[in-house]
Amino acid sequence: MVILENVYKIYNEGSSQAFEALKSIDLEIKAGETAILSGVSGSGKSTLLSLIAALDKPSSGKIVVGGELISKLPDLHASAYRAKRIGVVFQHFNLLEDLNVEENVIVPLIHSGLPLAVIRQMAAESMQRAAIEHKAVQSVNRLSGGEKQRCAIARALVHNPDLILCDEPTANLDRANSLKFIEMLEMLHGMGKTIIVATHDPLFEKLSFVSRVIHMEDGEIVKP
Amino acid sequence: MNEILLSNEVIVYLLSESVLYLLLLIAFFSTVSLLRRWNFQAFTSEQFILENRSYLVMTIIFFVMILKMLLLPYFVYTIDNLSDLVPGAMCGAGVIKANRYGNLLLILKIIILFLSGLWLSLNRIDLKAKNYPYVRLKSWLFIIIFLFLSAEFILDLLYFTHIGTTNPVSCCSVIYGQGGGANGLPFGLDISKLIILFYLLYALTVLTMMGGLILISIFATLLFLYISYYAVVYFFGTYIYELPTHLCPFCMLQDHYYYVGYVIWGSLLLGTFYALDSAVMAFFFRRPSVKLKRISLLFLTLFVLLCSAYVGVYYLKNGVFL
Repeated sequence: MVILENVYKIYNEGSSQAFEALKSIDLEIKAGETAILSGVSGSGKSTLLSLIAALDKPSSGKIVVGGELISKLPDLHASAYRAKRIGVVFQHFNLLEDLNVEENVIVPLIHSGLPLAVIRQMAAESMQRAAIEHKAVQSVNRLSGGEKQRCAIARALVHNPDLILCDEPTANLDRANSLKFIEMLEMLHGMGKTIIVATHDPLFEKLSFVSRVIHMEDGEIVKP
Repeated sequence: MNEILLSNEVIVYLLSESVLYLLLLIAFFSTVSLLRRWNFQAFTSEQFILENRSYLVMTIIFFVMILKMLLLPYFVYTIDNLSDLVPGAMCGAGVIKANRYGNLLLILKIIILFLSGLWLSLNRIDLKAKNYPYVRLKSWLFIIIFLFLSAEFILDLLYFTHIGTTNPVSCCSVIYGQGGGANGLPFGLDISKLIILFYLLYALTVLTMMGGLILISIFATLLFLYISYYAVVYFFGTYIYELPTHLCPFCMLQDHYYYVGYVIWGSLLLGTFYALDSAVMAFFFRRPSVKLKRISLLFLTLFVLLCSAYVGVYYLKNGVFL
């Protein structure tokens, strides 16, 4: 599903302040796997996720997701790839505070060309899966941290992506909500989704449905 | 010469041309560098930088070409306004013939207009693809266009710096008037045969475009453009001016004719361009486009109807033809 070959990411390349965020990353994650990227802050986890999400481009190397070469996608196609193929759950949720839950969940489908009735139906199903449907008309800025996270998950799932990327999803949650989030991940794993979670939360290390844990240090994949 | 160079329109025009040329010069060097090192199959740092840079450079070229297209009617407007400063000139016709650079400059601008349009079409289909399939072709086309643009820039400077304000120039009636008859017309045609050919070529252009006869439609379109120039100057224009001896492609651009010349020449050029564009896209890139054909037909039909309307209205008002 996800293949990275000799990927580098260098910020400020060519200048005296060049910084190698990722070095020689070779990685393959099969379809249906749940992989954890673990490592301390600054190890390159979020950078790696942003490259797989085509939010950024590598400095060199090849990234293939679902058979599609995404490391060279022009911006227009990168946007279409993000809108159709992946769902992302961000550390700080990145919800639109002026909108309610349902409206936030609908946002990824705005340019889908689907009729509004179909879009609302898809949003309702996604909110149900994320157990946030009872807050559909609630403004996002009035939600708790756990509820915001569930809203973010509903938004990430609304277009039924095969690949779900989570960047420090439990960083702003208490333990109870973190465990609820992990339950949701297990449900998604059961649905056959490919999931990559970047986290340094120890809760994720011994989960039974996790296929593998990838340790990162100073931009490289290291053996534990 | 000073009055010419210090006129507001010329200052704005030359300043705009200079800025746009400078941007294109930068784009030219970047494009040459890109062509030398481009290799989409590579995943090296250099190739990624080239891909990012190509997007930026092509975007600059895109906007500059759009602005250049808008500058063409402004150029025509400028030379028309200069007729007040050039003795003997009643319109842009006299100003264009004020020195030996004018006609060549105008023809070059129209050629650049068409080539730029072709580049924009190629850019559009390239951006739709995921693997930059036409980057090399676009780059080579831009280099060719840039050579024309460099010649245009030099001619612009030569033209405006060599317009004299002391020696009188010929006015349009002298330039285009041939003492009656078809002396100025191509292929030895007279006026009635010219107009029959005009309508026949319009019909041929429409039929071949809709019928998918690509090569014939290219030929018909170019011939229609050529014949239309003479038809407008030597026939339809006389009905716009309501004077059989007034033969001029420029006077109809002025306010007392409600600037109809911009619509007439604009619709002809746009219709011709879109016809050629749809043919080129279909023939060379296997991308037939009904939309481009429709836009072309819309403009060409507008052109023909507008020209014909002046004849029809004159006849209805006066009961006779000129």
